[in-house]
Amino acid sequence: MSDRHAELVVLGAGPGGYACAFRAADLGRTVVLVDPRPTLGGVCLNEGCIPSKALLHAAEVIRDAREIGDWGVALGEPRIDLAGLRDRKDGIVGQLTGGLTGLARRRKVRVVRGTARFTGPDSLDIDGVAWTFDQAVIAVGSAPIALPGWPEDERIWDSTAALELRAVPKRLTIVGGGIIGLEMATVYSALGSKTTVIELSDQIVPGADPEAVGILHAALVEEGIEIHTSTRVAGVKAVRAGLTLTCEGAFAGDIKADAIIRAVGRRANGGLLNAEAAGVAVDDRGEIRVDAQCRTGQPHIFAIGDVTGGPMLAHRATHQGHVAAEVASGHAAALDTVLIPAVAYTRPQLAWAGLTVAQAKEAGIAHKTTSFPWAASGRNLSSGGGDGLTKLVYCPDTRRVLGASLVGANAGELLAEAVLAMEMGATLDDIALTVHAHPTLSETIAFAAERALGTLTDL
Amino acid sequence: MSDVVASPSVRARARETGIDLERLARDLGRQTITREDLDGGKAAAGATSYWDVDHAQYGPVTEQPMSRFAQVAAANMAAAQALIPAVTHHDRADVSAVEAFRTSLKAEAQARATKLTALAFHVKALARCLRDFPTFNASLSADGKTLILKRFVHIGIAVDTAHGLMVPVVRDVDRKGLWQIAADIADLAARAQERKVRGEEMGGASMTISNLGAIGGTGFSPIINPPELAILGISRTETMPVWDGETFVPKPHVPLDLSYDHRVINGADAARFMTHYASLLADPRRILV
Ligand SMILES: Cc1cc2nc3c(=O)[nH]c(=O)nc-3n(C[C@H](O)[C@H](O)[C@H](O)COP(=O)(O)OP(=O)(O)OC[C@H]3O[C@@H](n4cnc5c(N)ncnc54)[C@H](O)[C@@H]3O)c2cc1C
Repeated sequence: MSDRHAELVVLGAGPGGYACAFRAADLGRTVVLVDPRPTLGGVCLNEGCIPSKALLHAAEVIRDAREIGDWGVALGEPRIDLAGLRDRKDGIVGQLTGGLTGLARRRKVRVVRGTARFTGPDSLDIDGVAWTFDQAVIAVGSAPIALPGWPEDERIWDSTAALELRAVPKRLTIVGGGIIGLEMATVYSALGSKTTVIELSDQIVPGADPEAVGILHAALVEEGIEIHTSTRVAGVKAVRAGLTLTCEGAFAGDIKADAIIRAVGRRANGGLLNAEAAGVAVDDRGEIRVDAQCRTGQPHIFAIGDVTGGPMLAHRATHQGHVAAEVASGHAAALDTVLIPAVAYTRPQLAWAGLTVAQAKEAGIAHKTTSFPWAASGRNLSSGGGDGLTKLVYCPDTRRVLGASLVGANAGELLAEAVLAMEMGATLDDIALTVHAHPTLSETIAFAAERALGTLTDL
Repeated sequence: MSDVVASPSVRARARETGIDLERLARDLGRQTITREDLDGGKAAAGATSYWDVDHAQYGPVTEQPMSRFAQVAAANMAAAQALIPAVTHHDRADVSAVEAFRTSLKAEAQARATKLTALAFHVKALARCLRDFPTFNASLSADGKTLILKRFVHIGIAVDTAHGLMVPVVRDVDRKGLWQIAADIADLAARAQERKVRGEEMGGASMTISNLGAIGGTGFSPIINPPELAILGISRTETMPVWDGETFVPKPHVPLDLSYDHRVINGADAARFMTHYASLLADPRRILV
């Protein structure tokens, strides 16, 4: 067989692409993995999940160090060595991406560095070199959305630039109050930036449970972050002295900033592939529609991850990657769930999965809610946690859990119990009768269940 | 989220084995599907799959993909076999009179260009039997709490085609004459061969007949086509000696096998049903009276 022929080619080495390539190799396939980046791991490892979480950890410790003063333990004001922090973050990223290279080698996955474009239903161009393939998986991810009419200026950052940690601007404005925007606000305000967040919708983290979001909103404001919802940025002016954002809506007026982070969402990269040549349809949002088997309209071409639309999250990409590898290798796999957990690693964290009250209402699904306030959690108070909430949406008939929203420290870790409960079809009774260790934050899930059942004695 | 409660591993296993969980839940009359349900109530034999074998280690093999049609049919067969506690009752009927009647009508058949097959007589006799035994012309409700008695008589005919088994249905056979039934069967069978039977021409039968008479065999255990309660298998007619009191006389007999759903039909009922059926075939005039 030709050296430029791939039995299975995976385009893009993000969490979707590498998971797919590795799983296919484990199933005995000969796999070629293509990505222009010098390191594997895509957005997630290089400029997304991992570096952001590294910086958020630092932000967390900075705040803990300040707050421990109230406990009679004075650590003094933290001194921040930006280069040291950057190195540590880069070191973590390097360790993980390097690890992936080892995993690829061990599985004999052939990694080709380059940008791929389709030239036909079973042919590709990779940086000017012609390739053929039997099956392909498109995993080219997404990129930050740029806003039209904004000036080109090196003080206007996207999430990638923000994670480079070039400087700590005195005044920082973040346009977009979604997960990425709020995580950046959490990092930079801890590092010392006077931070403002502007969000078009009437709440930050649009789509999440408003009650839980309210707690996060209040905590961010408490930290000194200014938040303007129902506000749109009409224009940005850049002069040497600084940047000016002109806002309309609930907040109307100018905001001066030394840097701006643009975090208004991400656009799928489907349009950059010449996918039409392969007979694969790409919509006007750059997304490729797939079914539960991750199949495109072409039986031998699959698509996974951000390029297939939302929710644009790494774990969805990974699961789709496994499904595509298995289906392409003749197995009856499918992503047969709508339970894709979402976590904002802010302080406090916000985490949710399944139906929110609004979604249940809109779909006409019978539902009730129950909740447990973290102010009544011994573990939360004794570990310095602030306000928080565990809220479950459930079916009043069967008492099956339909959705969960949590806000508080470690909410992202706690969510896993609720997701497993939902996947297993667990009822409130199942959760309440499962013994949870005391004192833990996980008890709040059992307490919420007990509260609905009338068996709670902790409130 | 689906109303059917099944853990992710159960969902994955159902997918691999081609079982439609929504449908299985409906058939079982419940919301929760467990691992054991997928094995037809039997405990799973660990994680072993009897089919996950590298056959090539024993000798050369070639692979032939199962068509979509065949995969669906296979899943339905497996589910029917797993879900229905079926018993097969064996009997035979003297068809001397039917054969004599058919021979006497040969000239007319030629004139009408319709072959008056033995199968048409079976269909007619079965229709009469179903009228006389209404609990055989019935289906169980999904929750197993109600028997739904049918006031029509439709008979499904299993047709062996190049792309697989199809079961078109002859409607209202109790109200049709033999010529019409014979013509309907011929038409449906011909169109089944070309895959031109419409969706609404299948399903809804009172009972199904599987006729292997033209091929051979002395008997078999047909699998019930749910939600029907029984299926009648017909094998090749054989001439056998019958003691008439003084001597053995040769008489053609057709072997009959009735598989029935033991949840609804008991052995004694089945025996009575088949005795009646055999007597109708032995003297087809009795179908009329
Ligand atoms: C700041 C930030 C924080 C985030 N935090 C989280 C988080 O905490 N949790 C979470 O779940 N998600 C998070 N995400 C989202 C997550 O990073 C993405 O959902 C995930 O990376 C998508 O994976 P993917 O495999 O679809 O594609 P990507 O990770 O986008 O990878 C696609 C790869 O394809 C390559 N590529 C592009 N075009 C081509 C081509 N033509 N040929 C070959 N290769 C090509 C790219 O170079 C890239 O490496 C975050 C994102 C950002 C930006």
